[in-house]
Amino acid sequence: MSDYTSDYTIVGKRMPRVDSRAKVMGKAKFTADLKLPGMLVGKIKRSPYAHARILNIDTSKAEALPGVKAIVTGKETKGVKWGVFAYTRDQQFIQIEKVRYIGDEVAGVAAVDEDTALKALDLIEVTYEELPPVFDPMEAMVSETELIHEDFPNNINVHVNIDTGNVDENFEKAYYIREDTYVAPEESYFQAEPYAVAARFDHEDCLEVWCPNGGPHMKSKPLSNAFKLPLHKVKVKKIAIGGAFGGRSEICPVDYICALLAKKTKRPVRIQFTREENTIATRQGHAMITTHKTGVDKDGRVLARETTCYMDGGAYSSTGPIATSVPFLSMEQAYRMESVRYNGYRIYTNKPIRGMIRTHGRGFACGLDTQLDMIADHLGIDPVEMRLRNSRQPGEYTSTKSYVDSCAMDETIHKAVEKSGFKEKWGKLPPYHGIGIGTNSVQTGFPMGIRGGSQSFIKFNEDGEATVMSGVVDNGQGNDNMLVQIAAEELGLLPEDIHLVSADTETTSSDPGSYSQVSTFVGGHAVKIAAQNCREKLFEVASKLLKVEPDKLAAKNRLIFVKDDPGSKRCKASKSIPIKKVVRISLLNFNSVNAEGGYWPKVDMKREWVKNPYGQMCEAFSFGTTIVEVKVDPDTGQVEVLEATAAQDVGYGINPLVLEGQFEGALTMGGQGGMLTEYHEWKDGRCINPTMLDYKLPLACDMPKINTIIVESIDPKGPYGAKEAGMSIAMSAAQGYSAAVSNAIGVYMDSFPLTPDKILAAIKGKKAQAEKKTSKNNAVN
Amino acid sequence: MEKIKITLNINDKPYDVRVFPNDTLLEVLRDELDLTGSKESCGEGVCGSCTVHMDGNPVRSCLTLAMEATGTKIKTVEGLATEDDLSDLQQSFIDHGAVQCGFCTPGMLMSADALLNKNSKPDEKTVRKALAGNICRCTGYAKIVEAVAHTGNPQDHCPDCKTGGKTKE
Ligand code: FES
Ligand code: FES
Repeated sequence: MSDYTSDYTIVGKRMPRVDSRAKVMGKAKFTADLKLPGMLVGKIKRSPYAHARILNIDTSKAEALPGVKAIVTGKETKGVKWGVFAYTRDQQFIQIEKVRYIGDEVAGVAAVDEDTALKALDLIEVTYEELPPVFDPMEAMVSETELIHEDFPNNINVHVNIDTGNVDENFEKAYYIREDTYVAPEESYFQAEPYAVAARFDHEDCLEVWCPNGGPHMKSKPLSNAFKLPLHKVKVKKIAIGGAFGGRSEICPVDYICALLAKKTKRPVRIQFTREENTIATRQGHAMITTHKTGVDKDGRVLARETTCYMDGGAYSSTGPIATSVPFLSMEQAYRMESVRYNGYRIYTNKPIRGMIRTHGRGFACGLDTQLDMIADHLGIDPVEMRLRNSRQPGEYTSTKSYVDSCAMDETIHKAVEKSGFKEKWGKLPPYHGIGIGTNSVQTGFPMGIRGGSQSFIKFNEDGEATVMSGVVDNGQGNDNMLVQIAAEELGLLPEDIHLVSADTETTSSDPGSYSQVSTFVGGHAVKIAAQNCREKLFEVASKLLKVEPDKLAAKNRLIFVKDDPGSKRCKASKSIPIKKVVRISLLNFNSVNAEGGYWPKVDMKREWVKNPYGQMCEAFSFGTTIVEVKVDPDTGQVEVLEATAAQDVGYGINPLVLEGQFEGALTMGGQGGMLTEYHEWKDGRCINPTMLDYKLPLACDMPKINTIIVESIDPKGPYGAKEAGMSIAMSAAQGYSAAVSNAIGVYMDSFPLTPDKILAAIKGKKAQAEKKTSKNNAVN
Repeated sequence: MEKIKITLNINDKPYDVRVFPNDTLLEVLRDELDLTGSKESCGEGVCGSCTVHMDGNPVRSCLTLAMEATGTKIKTVEGLATEDDLSDLQQSFIDHGAVQCGFCTPGMLMSADALLNKNSKPDEKTVRKALAGNICRCTGYAKIVEAVAHTGNPQDHCPDCKTGGKTKE
């Protein structure tokens, strides 16, 4: 059970982040800010074709260019492949026989400056034989042309099949059934910091790497495999990171290329992506075509659901099995369904690689919620009631057999409804005004086998301050501060007494990384346990000095004192002792004060994304509700968002200030951007809006008032009861936005995002239908 | 192309530097002068992360040639704080939780600082308009807007206005 109490002094409080001072001064160093002595500039030669065989690569002219220090091609890598899973190892670090998307890596150059490196790229001559490309996933499955990867028939990369309960029987029992299809194109992360990587081999031939990452240990392992170096010789170093949002979790071929160039030149090399490269050659969100068939009873309770989803995976697997599953899993967590069948297909196309993204499955989730609204409409139930009748309850199992312990889904719905005035507004708003609700749920962690746990080390310094070591990485969401808050709380110190060493593979133990929403739940938990162990050591020493049993002691404000001692408040000196003094006395007694602690979530180790998608997925789930109110201009199709309310069950709010920021950012990316403006456009496999000029990101002037509501369910396993924070908002925001627009224009939308052209077409279609009806009625009359 | 010697006045200090005529101010700040606080996010004048002041006006240093900056007073994010003290705006960003990944922060600060120099008590709408050329992917802008609007103008209803960078009940 959770050891939650309400008298924490540091966790649970609004606390400005420890990393913000360096950031407001412009002192925080990002990868592109690094200057290493003798550093060279690296650049990547990329494929201009979507699908082509490489016949020859001639680097001689480029090599002869003064200032060029090294060139690497697939010859050096000898076709070595990598992939997140053993069964998805389909991407070479540098392509050797074939390119599969416009932007695929074919060579790397290191030169004395950028101009020389760029010139060298032009001088590398690659002879290609063009192959017929395929860009549409539905076509790719039936295409007779050369497969994108020869060992994947029909270009199907991943097929996830889940079947629980008696779907067919339940459809027969259903009172009302709907089947609808929803589509959404690709979206991108647009992290503020363009991807960059710097690498060098040190004097002991250890590889040092700096790059934005979602988990340093997830980068070091594949690099150690590729270079055949022991893990301790691959040092992924801490560096400020300008956002990840689910991307940047896996190794990027360019990490390897950069390291290879450093090895060849014996000098540090840095590769900085252009904005276009960041969009094209890292990862993108999948385009999806999703069909939901839902059968309900008279009261609107879901009896059976069958969902089939086709995802455009692009050229390589990436996190394919996870990506194919998560949209479904989020919905099976959010809503109960008596029986469900899911078929998710991830299909290779000759487009950039798709991975996990914060709003993964916007079309999937918005489709499901839109359909629920349509069913509710048909049955005369309001959308809130519809959700409450189907919402996940604590103590239940999901369809794929994960036990859901803490769950305050209903509370998020009630609180968001109340704050937004949904009940008063629903059905009563003026024309072209609308209000909508979306609910979602996100995993706190994925099954990751031996990499699922985190371990922390803490040592006290003789000045009474502590150094905390943890493999957790901070991509910008505030993980560093979270660790500091936890350590300070448990050790009885102030945040400024904690020195954090994190996100560094040399000094920290393995950690699952931040992209599965698990940093607090697992990494924070490990720090909490380590700090508790360390505190126990302090108490042992202090108990002798204060002449009380250790379990009578507490630590706060740099002091160890006797708990519940009425005298201690009045006369602190007699019943308390400074932590610094305890540390020094311990040292004088030949004992250093340090400790370790780890946390491994108890998940079903036999659960596997494709082969066995059943069993305990993670230990906790977050739940969120977003309600949005909009006004649509019927002449332009423009949407003005009047107000948005986001409520999430985070388990426990370790830092409300940080949580609010996460909710606001999540709503902006998932809802405002994800549902109104963000999508990629293509021409023959080329992304035609890869830059910030063409891809429309939300601006300060676009944003409505955002109400944030933190709901606490105190998860029995989470540290202080905490779970994931923010992701359920990113996802439910998309649903809330789409529902609000549908409500405003009186048309249930099935193609996302809801851009003005689609909105105008829908309004026009509705008018035409209404006219047809009147003329028919007139004719009858 | 030949490099040309110019003198730039940055944060009230003169810097002699040799530049190509096509070097941008951002390149010179970051690569030649080690002032890496100004960031490049888009490189084409859209995101505002490279914003610096030229004679008090916010400009995009990725679109400004270094040569154009001669004879002007440049201020970068490194020039906001004095030796020991952060500016009120910087402190307000910290207190209001306006910084997440921090990559947009230097540009945001410079746009906001230029606004506050002209209008010390801007309302929310004015702040949003002044920051419309600065993209932040992390925060959703709410806390940034609050931080700017509340700088030197603390609000009773705001729980973050008087923290002074300290944890509070
Ligand atoms: S880098 Fe200058 S505006 Fe984006
Ligand atoms: S704080 Fe990350 S982009 Fe603004």
